[in-house]
Amino acid sequence: MKNTDEIDATTRALARVAPGTPGGDPSDAEARALLAAITSEDPGTAAKTGTRAYRRPALGLAATVVLGAGAVVGPSLLENGSGVPASWAVTAADGMVTIKVRDFRDAAGLETRLRDLDVPAIVDFVPWGQRCREPRGRHVDDIPRGLYSLPENVPGEKRGWQMRINTKLFRPGQTFVWTISAPASGGSSSTSTYLMEGPVAPCEPVPRPTQKAVEQEFRTATLKGRSLEGLRVDEKTVGEVLPELRKRGRKVVFMTMVIPPGNPGGFGEGRTRTEPVGDDWIVWEAEENAKGVIRLLVTDRRYDKNPVYGGPRDAVITE
Amino acid sequence: MDDERPARFEAVYREAYGRIMAYAARRCDSPQDAADVVAETFTVAWRRMDELPPGDEAILWLYGVARRVLANHHRSEGRRQARSVGLDARMADLYADSPGGEAELEAIAQVFRALSDDDRELLSLVAWEELDREQIATALGLSRNVVRVKLHRARRRFARALAEAGIRNTPESRLAPAEGSL
Repeated sequence: MKNTDEIDATTRALARVAPGTPGGDPSDAEARALLAAITSEDPGTAAKTGTRAYRRPALGLAATVVLGAGAVVGPSLLENGSGVPASWAVTAADGMVTIKVRDFRDAAGLETRLRDLDVPAIVDFVPWGQRCREPRGRHVDDIPRGLYSLPENVPGEKRGWQMRINTKLFRPGQTFVWTISAPASGGSSSTSTYLMEGPVAPCEPVPRPTQKAVEQEFRTATLKGRSLEGLRVDEKTVGEVLPELRKRGRKVVFMTMVIPPGNPGGFGEGRTRTEPVGDDWIVWEAEENAKGVIRLLVTDRRYDKNPVYGGPRDAVITE
Repeated sequence: MDDERPARFEAVYREAYGRIMAYAARRCDSPQDAADVVAETFTVAWRRMDELPPGDEAILWLYGVARRVLANHHRSEGRRQARSVGLDARMADLYADSPGGEAELEAIAQVFRALSDDDRELLSLVAWEELDREQIATALGLSRNVVRVKLHRARRRFARALAEAGIRNTPESRLAPAEGSL
């Protein structure tokens, strides 16, 4: 085996991924989640803040949940009118704990129940728009795979969400640190989840930092009494929705949703931008802020179900 | 942040993602390591967009970044890149499909792994990423002439090592001829 071609052919045969073959498709959910996670980081400050930048709540669900930071359930996922079932339920089987959260104020009750089930947890409630001052303790970087799942809709229910925790994967000294939040009016809710080791400081509520003025205080715009009442934008293309909004003279921005693998319901908040996205992108809901800016929740392709509602909008919004 | 930056990055990402995934998968022993390398490579690229060359050279520059990330990764094993964990399953699929199994191929792989990092990388860039000398020179920041000489020596050392290991037959490559897109 002496000549160049033979040597190269021999080397080729060793390739794990065949030469000339891509190792992945950039339109895969994971690929897009990674892209969103990376570009949500301000490149100017990223180098200085190092790994701290990974903990920003704007990261995609897939990324955030795994690193234990800011698993933010899109508010619309849980938004609804009345009839809050004021309970949470936890069930254990074989070390796997399934947690269903419906009341985002009963932190003490949830914490007690988790501890009963051997989940070393601290749960705090903070008023809407706030979070606990960081850092409260040392973050665990190498979170075991499968320790906890993405938050997802409770099957058959319009409200609340559930996630699974494998209690066998906690190591001594580790604590699952949860912050739950909901506005006084009910409706929305959010949660952030961290895995920490060693002592954890008490929660000191501080205002949640906002990245850009344009991103704060958005709420669903298509509900009764809101500025787009009666207009259906869900599951339409950007090209179908934009002309009507323009006709109404509305300023429109776009938020790219980060859909976790399998589209279980819920999404991570990607970048909000003012420049147009493709006409063939899919709109899942429209939001508005106090200034009347419309924010379209969009993805670059169609999914099997509306990630905002974990299914058809009509199954959740029944007004 | 200027508005052009994310769009440009996304275009490069879409173009390069499959190739960087393959690059990492071919060089890392575990899918987790490979996922880390992919995530870190693109993170570095995002932070250093100002240095990212235009056009076809972007991928070569990314290979260079990936190579340095890989070298650093080997030094700091044990810490996961949080944002890369989402890629694990996808990577694991690539590993499941890996060539291997035949004793002879395994023996060749062993010889290959025993080469120096530099030799392996040069041979790999030719055979796996299908870069030509000029592209390798760009990716590694070397002159074409240096690449030519180093590559010649790397091939010779690999051939000699194979001979010393008693491996004489070239395995018929089971892989379809490459359709390089560079």
